[in-house]
Amino acid sequence: MRGLRSWLLRLAGSLSGSRREPDLVAELESHLQLHIDDNLRAGMTPAEARRQARLALGGVEQTKELVRDERATVVDSIRQDVVFALRMMRRSPVATGVAVLSLALGIGANTAIFSILDSLLLRSLPVREAERLVLLTEADTPSFTNPVWEEVRNRGLFAGAFAWQATRFDLARTGEVDSVDGMWASGAIFDVLGVPALLGRTLTEADDARGGGPHGPVVVISHRLWQRRFGGAADVIGRSLTIGKLPFTIVGVVPSAFFGLDVGRMSDVVAPLGAIAAVPGRGRVLDDRGASFLRIMARLAPGQTVDTATAAVRRVQAAIRAATAPSAAAARWLPPHLGKPFTLQPGEVGTSPLRARYQRPLVIVMAGVALVLLTACANIANLLLARATARRHELSVRRALGASRARLAGQLFTESLLLAVAGAGGGLLVARWSGDLLVRQLSTPNSTVFLALPLDWRVLGFTTAAALLTALLFGIAPALWATRVQPQDALKQDGRVSAGRRGTWFGSAMVVIQVALSLVLVVGAGLLVRTFSTLVTLDLGLDQNGILMVTMNHEGAPGPPEQDGAATFDLVREAVSTVPGVDAVAASAFGPVNDGSMSLTIDPPDGASLAPRDLRASLNLVSPGWFSALRIPVAAGRDFTAADRAGATRVAIVNEAYARRFGAGRSPIGRTLRSVAGGKPGPSVEIVGLVRDAVYGLPRDPVPPTVYYPLAQAGSGLGYVRLCVRAAGVSPASLARSVSAATLRVDPAARLTFQTLGDQLGATIVRERLLAMLAGFFGLLALLLAALGLYGVTAHAVNSRRAEIGIRMALGAAPAGVVRMVLGRVAALVTVGVVFGAGVSLWATRFVESMLFGLKARDPLTFVAAALVLAGIGLLAGWVPARRAARIDPATVLRES
Amino acid sequence: MNDHTTKTDIWQGTLALMILKTIEVLGPLHGYGIARRIEQTSGQRLAVNYGTIYPALVKLEQEGCVASAWGVSDAGRKAKYYRLTRAGRRRVEKAGREWERTTEIVAQFLTMAPGED
Repeated sequence: MRGLRSWLLRLAGSLSGSRREPDLVAELESHLQLHIDDNLRAGMTPAEARRQARLALGGVEQTKELVRDERATVVDSIRQDVVFALRMMRRSPVATGVAVLSLALGIGANTAIFSILDSLLLRSLPVREAERLVLLTEADTPSFTNPVWEEVRNRGLFAGAFAWQATRFDLARTGEVDSVDGMWASGAIFDVLGVPALLGRTLTEADDARGGGPHGPVVVISHRLWQRRFGGAADVIGRSLTIGKLPFTIVGVVPSAFFGLDVGRMSDVVAPLGAIAAVPGRGRVLDDRGASFLRIMARLAPGQTVDTATAAVRRVQAAIRAATAPSAAAARWLPPHLGKPFTLQPGEVGTSPLRARYQRPLVIVMAGVALVLLTACANIANLLLARATARRHELSVRRALGASRARLAGQLFTESLLLAVAGAGGGLLVARWSGDLLVRQLSTPNSTVFLALPLDWRVLGFTTAAALLTALLFGIAPALWATRVQPQDALKQDGRVSAGRRGTWFGSAMVVIQVALSLVLVVGAGLLVRTFSTLVTLDLGLDQNGILMVTMNHEGAPGPPEQDGAATFDLVREAVSTVPGVDAVAASAFGPVNDGSMSLTIDPPDGASLAPRDLRASLNLVSPGWFSALRIPVAAGRDFTAADRAGATRVAIVNEAYARRFGAGRSPIGRTLRSVAGGKPGPSVEIVGLVRDAVYGLPRDPVPPTVYYPLAQAGSGLGYVRLCVRAAGVSPASLARSVSAATLRVDPAARLTFQTLGDQLGATIVRERLLAMLAGFFGLLALLLAALGLYGVTAHAVNSRRAEIGIRMALGAAPAGVVRMVLGRVAALVTVGVVFGAGVSLWATRFVESMLFGLKARDPLTFVAAALVLAGIGLLAGWVPARRAARIDPATVLRES
Repeated sequence: MNDHTTKTDIWQGTLALMILKTIEVLGPLHGYGIARRIEQTSGQRLAVNYGTIYPALVKLEQEGCVASAWGVSDAGRKAKYYRLTRAGRRRVEKAGREWERTTEIVAQFLTMAPGED
């Protein structure tokens, strides 16, 4: 610490040398004056007093000189080093620029990924004493029913506790859904967390009463929503906010740092849990003993530890279970984990579904960008070595004049430090920009990812550490190497020290490392890019282009009383089909892609022996025209028609996967299908059609055996449908407005969400797209750096062998032979690097195995392609210096030496 | 040349300790006051130029042992006052102990009588 402080002071001294001089003069003058005063008091004459004081001080100039000496030693040498290093850097602006740029990219990318990982995994919740928070879990599952929560709350085992459910609220009054992230939370949430209101008040226990407290249903909103939706209006308190068509009163705004408890999400609206009772369709969820939807967090009481609190909650677990046991009928459907012992887990960092999805990819990307940074370091080490080697004569002269080796090495290292500092500065800019960009890439239309990436001491510390580490990595070796000169070398003719061998060896080693690292990155990038392209080009069994998916939610809306839901949906379908630009429209319970699922247990026909697991078939409910709208071919039989209504013969269409599993090789048309529910067989359904396999759920999953029932025969109770609108020659997204108008004319209470099927597909491969993008970018960057490194080393080698090459040519070597000789060296380096890198890749690719689709981690094609790419790059990078070598004029070279 | 360096080093080290100790005892003080005090404490036996104190003060300040600020003396003169930092306090303590130990050892040697074991 003292070392740093004195160094800083010295630096300040060197920078303000001219400013300190007057200060010293003033101090010495004051000294004299004080002494003269004393002398006068002792009775001397003014002249004598002055003379004696001067004598005692011993000469102002002499003292100034002494002080200056004291300051000069270290200060000036540092200043000299910095000035010198800057001059060296200015002399080769391109090389310096490339070095700083590659460092900035490397350090910046590392910093960006670090700050995301930090924000996602490590950072404490921005609440009071987050380390005292615990999360209640039952066999690692943190979901509980509201009756269980009420039992936990009423027993008062902790300093405080609250429950919450992350959800999306629809803030639209009518028409298109306007979603924001938010949560239902029990009244004590803000008190337990210790989060005060920025404006108004936070929630109270009283607000949490069923259906709303004394002030009716109230909400607290985020700082962000306050700014965005209300323009930061001071009178926002007391205004009304429509949530799911119900009016809520805004009672408070919370500070901007508070995002909720789910890292990666911004809870813009926090509504009291009790208000769920007022939401149509969800009214009974609070008393439902089978619906586990709440997370429970508690604050430990003073003196309580996680262990004692766990013991306390386990003591009452049996009683809580007894009081909240679901009915026997519901119990059968409950997940098997219920009944495991309660456990409290640290709640300091909150919860996040993003962690499981992105922790591993981010760590892998971080490793990748660290490799890029290493590649950049190898380049810079080479550059610095080349520069230092060129100065060996000068260095040996300075050694001969008495400079210590440490002093010379220090001077060379100063340049490395300056490069690293410049790189780190640029890196912070890169990180600021790319961090937010990356976070935006994680968002999908259905889930907006919010991660604050503050530039705080943790991030700055990481960047500083990265900069210092890189400076050590690329600076130490050249500094030590180049200063290994002997003073007597200065006397050698022309100072042409045999720098060659060792320096060349070092350069070659660096290039081999670069090629190896690049190969690892290119292999990784190849695997991830191919995974992505495989997923993008998967044959889905349908035509996803030109489809607008509309979710029409009729739930909770008072709708036209004379019609049931299904009839309304039919009318909407007719209305939408007349909209200009709409080619076809059909409805279904689920969209084709990742949009929820239902399944059936099939009663195996003719006693076919199938494992219970194989009896499941996926189910969708579709309207007539759904298959043709999505371009799913009907292979046999027919599509549903308007005649397949409620009350008519129950019919079904199955896909080919179903026919393969349950049809025993015969056509399923005309056969019957019977599902089993609760151990009892359901009604017989006649199979009238067979369609080709099409995606159900995630595109990467194999198409399951699928049964389609007519939407009209599904019975009542379906509160929503997905409309699938095929656009005729216009962009599907552009239809949203007119489709919305047509729908609202039929059903003014409908709530609508619009998405193109393409976007929905894109959302299923966000992670793969991100990984492919990053890996591709950094793979290219590594290739570029490796090419620069190869070029630099080869050019340097050609330069230092000019004389030799000239003599060879004078003796009759053909230019082609010279080119061969130079390229042969490049080939050797690349080969060693590729072999080395391939070995590392064989080991390293196992870490991306779980993220691959459609190929193995040791995919030979990718390995061979990566090796070829590097060979090509090597050839290209070696070609230019090789050509230059072949153009050497023997006469000129011989004259030079 | 070597001889000279050694002497200066010892003098510098001792002078630094004297300065620090003086500031520790008297509190914030200007350079002149420190020099006068050292002279008085030594009983006029140390007759050196007052000027030699300033390089020592600069060094101590660089090392973070003292901090300085301009102030006004009792007599109304402007003067630069030096005060001990925390690091300086630690240094006085440590150097004082070391000095005592050294002088003890040296004293042992000096009191050795010929022929004694």
